[in-house]
Amino acid sequence: MGLMAGQTRSEERKAVATAFVAPAGEAARPSCVAPVGSSRLSPLRWLLTLSALAAAAVLVLLICLQFGAERIGLAEEIRIVSLAIGAGPAGLESAGASGVILLQVRLPRVLLAFMVGGCLAAVGVGLQALFRNPLADPYVLGISSGAALGAGLAILFGLTGTALAFSALSLCAMAGGLLSVLVVYRIATAYGYLPIHTLLLAGVILNAVFSALVMFVTSIMEPNRSFGMMSWLMGTLTAPDYPAMLVLAAYLLTGLLVLFRQAASLNLLTLGEESARALGVEVEAVKQTVFFTSALLTGAVVSVSGMIGFVGMVIPHALRLLAGADHRLLLPASALVGGMYLMAADTIARTLLAPTEIPVGVVTALAGGPFFIYLLTLRKGRLA
Amino acid sequence: MSIKELTGGAAYSVDGLRFSYGHPAGSRSGNGWVLDGLTFEVRPGEILGVLGPNGSGKSSLLKILAKVLRQQEGSVKLFGCELIGMPQHEVARSVALVPQESPIAFPFSITEMVLMGRFPHHRRNIGLSGLGWEGPEDIRTAEAAMRETDVLHLAHRSITDVSGGERQRAVIARALTQEPKVLLLDEPTAFLDLHHQLDICSILSRLNEERGLTVVLVSHDLNLAGQHCDRLLLLDRGRTVRLGSPEEVMTPEVLEEVYRCRVLVDRHPQSGLPRVTLPGRKLAVSSQLGDQG
Repeated sequence: MGLMAGQTRSEERKAVATAFVAPAGEAARPSCVAPVGSSRLSPLRWLLTLSALAAAAVLVLLICLQFGAERIGLAEEIRIVSLAIGAGPAGLESAGASGVILLQVRLPRVLLAFMVGGCLAAVGVGLQALFRNPLADPYVLGISSGAALGAGLAILFGLTGTALAFSALSLCAMAGGLLSVLVVYRIATAYGYLPIHTLLLAGVILNAVFSALVMFVTSIMEPNRSFGMMSWLMGTLTAPDYPAMLVLAAYLLTGLLVLFRQAASLNLLTLGEESARALGVEVEAVKQTVFFTSALLTGAVVSVSGMIGFVGMVIPHALRLLAGADHRLLLPASALVGGMYLMAADTIARTLLAPTEIPVGVVTALAGGPFFIYLLTLRKGRLA
Repeated sequence: MSIKELTGGAAYSVDGLRFSYGHPAGSRSGNGWVLDGLTFEVRPGEILGVLGPNGSGKSSLLKILAKVLRQQEGSVKLFGCELIGMPQHEVARSVALVPQESPIAFPFSITEMVLMGRFPHHRRNIGLSGLGWEGPEDIRTAEAAMRETDVLHLAHRSITDVSGGERQRAVIARALTQEPKVLLLDEPTAFLDLHHQLDICSILSRLNEERGLTVVLVSHDLNLAGQHCDRLLLLDRGRTVRLGSPEEVMTPEVLEEVYRCRVLVDRHPQSGLPRVTLPGRKLAVSSQLGDQG
């Protein structure tokens, strides 16, 4: 549905293009009818696109819930959902085993996939604008390797138990991720402001150092533990229980709203810092906000999902081609499509070799990589 | 005249301006100042050309006037207000900058890019959602600016897909969309063909005459500056060499001292203003022969 909206849009653009090709010479150029209205993001297109995407997300959610080790048909699914909505937990009793599977096992997992995918894609959009580089992704700040180190240490020392309904592994990963972000930030702001190139370099270097430490930690683990480490590194969604999900959802939503509020400023920031400043953007404040919001969002997401590649890079890129570059649409649309993408990818990861699970990061990379190469060949020379 | 009375003085008054990139302490010890003690005024409603060799600090000066860079010493006042104390969007409502280069990373349409010029104006209407949709008034302003710089027919095109000259005209349209009182331009005609060079110059002259727009223009093109500017500021290594009318500044003696090469200055056949020509091949050969003889 999102794709359809995008295609209609590009057809619109073509139609406008052909309508405004001047027959010949300067004098023939149109001066009365202006294509200005149709060549920008209008509030109506914004609303229509996002409504269509939200509807599509609900549809994908319902489809993903049907699949698992055991297929639950649509009629059964609707019956269970309506029971749960109508009668609450009490209604579950009558829904039977498939009710438990659907609501206690699959729904949290699918919802988590939606939240994680949505955040990764939105943060990807934000950081691509911040770095003015369409190849940036949420892990570019060095978060991923810091989180991996935290997770690795938790696994190495066999930390168990929970706090605030989150597992020790998640909390260690979050702490590691935030620690590395602070180090990157300290390195980059040595001169009192936030130079983007230094930030990028600091992130890359710290990633390299921490990755080496992760390798070291993994190499001295017992074999059965290193298996857990590997699957974390390749990305695996582990859904916490509902209260923790609620906390996580509120946290992520707050972060996303803070990010969305910067949309207009991000548009200008892509013109370069000097141009943005000359147009009235408080550039340093915007950079700080986007940096810390991205870091806090990615840290939380990584702690419950491990490292899931490609969502944060490919989704923003594809959406930019289909829906235009305006961040007021690009940010929320990427969040919705990223969420859908990860729900679908995780469903494939759960079911393809059931009961064995494939790490979801493998699925996103295998599906996203070729798609990205396709985009590269399609839009040759327009990426940099 | 009326503008002068309203604002009670200069558009810009620059006093003892000193600026360097990098660490200020390091540059104080050596002579690392990019701008070294500039003092001048920009009169409201004038077109001021800023000239000088490479590295003379022209672009840095322009960025300081737009508050994109901050000076280390001295003061810059915009219509009597200290620039340092003004919020960025307040500056952007009266001052528009057309930078020398506009790096483009993302495929905004020309219209979307031009409409960004409205940002400082509807910034306060953005509200909680951060959306800040452009109203019909904003769109009309953008449309008028795009017609003026001849990019209206490119409205739907992506800025990544148009030529350097077309992009430059779109950036100028964006600056006009800001509805500024002062327009700062850094080499605005560098990428333009003759036709559009002339277009931009006539737009600037017209806005200057009709709306009393103050223009500060950095250019390497001495003739363009000489023809269209009311006054010229000639810089060399961050210092003022000469400030005055084209006749006063564009003399062979002054130019040869600053640019360290021979130039010929005669009169423009139409306007009678000074015109600069580099020595031709024949002259170079004969002067060499003369030296030998």
